[in-house]
Amino acid sequence: MKHLMPSLRSKKRYLAFELFSEEPVNRGELVRDVISSASALLGDVLASECDIHVLGFEAGKGIIQCSHSKVTETRAALAAITRVNRLRATLHVLGVSGTIKRATEKYLNDDAGFEPNLKAIEE
Amino acid sequence: MGNRKFYDFCVHAVPDGDNSVEELASLARHFGYAGFALTNHSDKLSQKKPALPSLEGFEIFRGIELVEENPSKLHGLVGKFRKNADVLIVHGGSEKVNRAAVENSSVDILNHPSFEKSSGINQVLAKAAADNEVAIGLNMRPLLHSRGSRRIRLLTDLMANLDLARKYDVQLVLSSDAMSCYDLRSPRELLALAELFGLEESEAVDALSTVPERILARNRPSPGNVREGVEVVEEVDFL
Repeated sequence: MKHLMPSLRSKKRYLAFELFSEEPVNRGELVRDVISSASALLGDVLASECDIHVLGFEAGKGIIQCSHSKVTETRAALAAITRVNRLRATLHVLGVSGTIKRATEKYLNDDAGFEPNLKAIEE
Repeated sequence: MGNRKFYDFCVHAVPDGDNSVEELASLARHFGYAGFALTNHSDKLSQKKPALPSLEGFEIFRGIELVEENPSKLHGLVGKFRKNADVLIVHGGSEKVNRAAVENSSVDILNHPSFEKSSGINQVLAKAAADNEVAIGLNMRPLLHSRGSRRIRLLTDLMANLDLARKYDVQLVLSSDAMSCYDLRSPRELLALAELFGLEESEAVDALSTVPERILARNRPSPGNVREGVEVVEEVDFL
């Protein structure tokens, strides 16, 4: 099938994010809980309009794609995540950008990562 | 948005919540807050007064969330804790407690007013809350941790209270009501949730920034403050 012309493709926004969870989780587990949270909070109709996709997730950071007109709804759905793979978690959107490249460069490439001291929870 | 400072005015640390004040503060600062109020429930206080840690570029305010069923005892507790608290919250949830809270001008915020089949606020209480400058707290934790029928109920109550707050000019305070680090949400995320729940963007920003600042200004008068509404801005020597 012929590709859609660029001018006809839906416009997107890319959300760079970081996830703090009790134990490391993988992309598959995160995807499941992102979609389930969006579906529960927004309903299936609005969630489909948001066009949410987890594009990449590695070492607690990643990029989520959404429709350019539904950034607020997507942020809310991401904020509504309380658990990933039954482990307590909180998702923090670092920034929003129009291209994957810019989102990665601007928000994910700084080495000064934040390491919260969460040891007390496991005790 | 600009250079606004955001404050989370309902955070619970050990022994009430799961995490220490330091952990909560470092994560909240990372999320972009200018400060938060430590508001442990009054029935779960530690014996000695905890020392608040100091963190560069982040303010921690002394607060308390009073839990008391008896209105006259509640007024007593308000008097007891008012002097040492920057933020005084009442944990509502019954008609008597809600009424006592909004009629006491020493109270800053009423949290969780809803009970049984009521949103917890009616036109009488809304008017009293506006007159006494008691804000209504919008807490995110119960909304995020529930789903289905329970969340629908909570949202219905929130929207009913929002309508009343707009009509009677009651202040709103947006907070996480965090019991652990994982309940904290960054300011932008809380604003997105609030907008989704029906607040205008400006209302949401006020509830996370302007109203908390107003509460602080009221309880922490500046050095030049003479009395309410009178402040020495600049001293000039006459003669």
